Amino acid sequence: MRSIRHFFEQSWLLIVASFFFGLLIAVTNAALSPRIEQNRNSKLNELAGGLLPDATAFTPVAETIEIQALDGKQQKLAVYRATTGSQTVGWVFQVVGSGFADKIELVVAVDAAFTSLAGFDVLASNETPGFGDQIKYGYYRDQFKGAPTDGLTLVKSGDPATIDAQIVAITGATVSSTAVVRAMDHYLPQVKTQLQQKGLIGHGN
Amino acid sequence: MATDSDGQTCVYKNTLLAGLWRENPVLRLLLGMCPTLAVTAAVKPAFTMGMCVVFVLVCSNVMVSLMRDKLKPHLRILMFTLTIATFVTIADLLLKAFQPDMSAALGPYVPLIIVNCIIIARAEACASKNPILLSIVDALSMGAGFTVALCVLAGIREVLGTGKFFEIQVMPKAFVPWAALSMPVGAFLALGFLLGLVTLITKKRS
Amino acid sequence: MDTVYLLITGFLSVVLINNLVLTKFLGICPYLGVSGRIDMAFGMGLAVTFVMTLSGTLTWLIDHMVLIPLGLEVTRYVCFILVIASAVQLVEMYLRKFFPPLYDSFGIFLPLITTNCAILGLCLFLNLWGIDSLLEAVVLSVGGGIGFTMAICIMAGIRENLRMVDVPESLQGAPITLITAGILSLAFMGFAGII
Repeated sequence: MRSIRHFFEQSWLLIVASFFFGLLIAVTNAALSPRIEQNRNSKLNELAGGLLPDATAFTPVAETIEIQALDGKQQKLAVYRATTGSQTVGWVFQVVGSGFADKIELVVAVDAAFTSLAGFDVLASNETPGFGDQIKYGYYRDQFKGAPTDGLTLVKSGDPATIDAQIVAITGATVSSTAVVRAMDHYLPQVKTQLQQKGLIGHGN
Repeated sequence: MATDSDGQTCVYKNTLLAGLWRENPVLRLLLGMCPTLAVTAAVKPAFTMGMCVVFVLVCSNVMVSLMRDKLKPHLRILMFTLTIATFVTIADLLLKAFQPDMSAALGPYVPLIIVNCIIIARAEACASKNPILLSIVDALSMGAGFTVALCVLAGIREVLGTGKFFEIQVMPKAFVPWAALSMPVGAFLALGFLLGLVTLITKKRS
Repeated sequence: MDTVYLLITGFLSVVLINNLVLTKFLGICPYLGVSGRIDMAFGMGLAVTFVMTLSGTLTWLIDHMVLIPLGLEVTRYVCFILVIASAVQLVEMYLRKFFPPLYDSFGIFLPLITTNCAILGLCLFLNLWGIDSLLEAVVLSVGGGIGFTMAICIMAGIRENLRMVDVPESLQGAPITLITAGILSLAFMGFAGII
């Protein structure tokens, strides 16, 4: 009995404080979580909106799209349907590539029939400033606007202005350029097959 | 502590000024090196980090000062840690809600404020012995010193590393950015030389 | 085979490419403070590796077994720091009682480790990198500790030689250590791109 009393004498402040702090965190979280959720969506919407300017809304696809990531793990992928009114104008999803130092997270948009790319944007990357991080600039990214969704290849030299399956690497940043192309080549066919299987897009072209 | 009001003003003024130069946590006491190096590639994240630290420092100093008479010696550090962790969580939530871009840029360095030595050092050295008002002044002063040091370092790195200041182009077009300064290397070198400069100035003065 | 490959690349990445000290700036305080002598540095490195492995694994388990299923992610930071603090305390008591020689060699560093940002930093990065298997979490925790030990031992070696060098007066102490660390981090950048 005595030891219990001693215990409380010593630690009542700790116990009271724990409850108080727990309450404080809970209240803050309850107050702010809708806003945080909204921020998360608006970031994706903003990037996706830049890629598919015609789209007015992005809604998550109800079907589960399960694909194999670059490192061989199975993962669920959130695919968004971009719509104008009731018409589907494209699909948006997130792709993770393995860059020079760390992961590269991209937002990729494709057209409604999944035949050509509408472009990509960099969500997060840790590439070398001045070299690898050029993947987020227009002269590299524009090559993907309208490029086919299958069989992208990276070439060392060529004309970046021509839109075809050949992507011209950034000088001095071959690893980062390769990372983007490889991630696309890995994800795009899988997502396409899955979308076809679920009947969301038609077979063939 | 002095009892008359003149003496008290003096104490407050001294405390307020201490953090900025004489006891600047980063430049003189070498506390909180981890965020100093990690978030100073540009001024904006550095400033945001400074503000977060000020928030946590003020809140935790107030809490610790409130319960300073009731603290049991061996549970002291545990109480400090618990208090700091709570306010860091709140700061993190606030940042996520109102500055989502900065929250993404700072990443795990926001929760790492928990183990920032400045905060626990101030709780131990000042707030656990002094009344609330003085603790707040101390927190503001230390926090301001930290923020200023971070912004100076970030200013040097951003201007030379990218040619911009607060994301606005300031250097002429012909200037080739020293990209190395935006990388980890630049953080170590810039802070090393900045500390050297501070030592030099101190020596010259005395 | 795939798993082994994944673990090896993950290990190399956390030891060399994303070295906690030289690229993530974690654990700079002990890095500056304890890197004066190589035997002290090694003791500190061992202690950090030990605690990091333990707390990395524990926090990963708690995160995935308790916090995520219950939707309590918001209390993650509080839980992590409490787990680390109690792990350090337990290890210290255990070592003092059962392995006095080991306690003598790195026990004195243990209390310092609670506020070592490398430990909490690694636990947070495990979460940020989206590690989803226990094995990977353990390997990365060990790797993080080994990376820290390596960085601090290299630094101690350099600093032992720096004593014989004529360093400008105002750069002595912490400034020259930071500049050396900068050059070291430049060298480590060469590892980027190997995987």
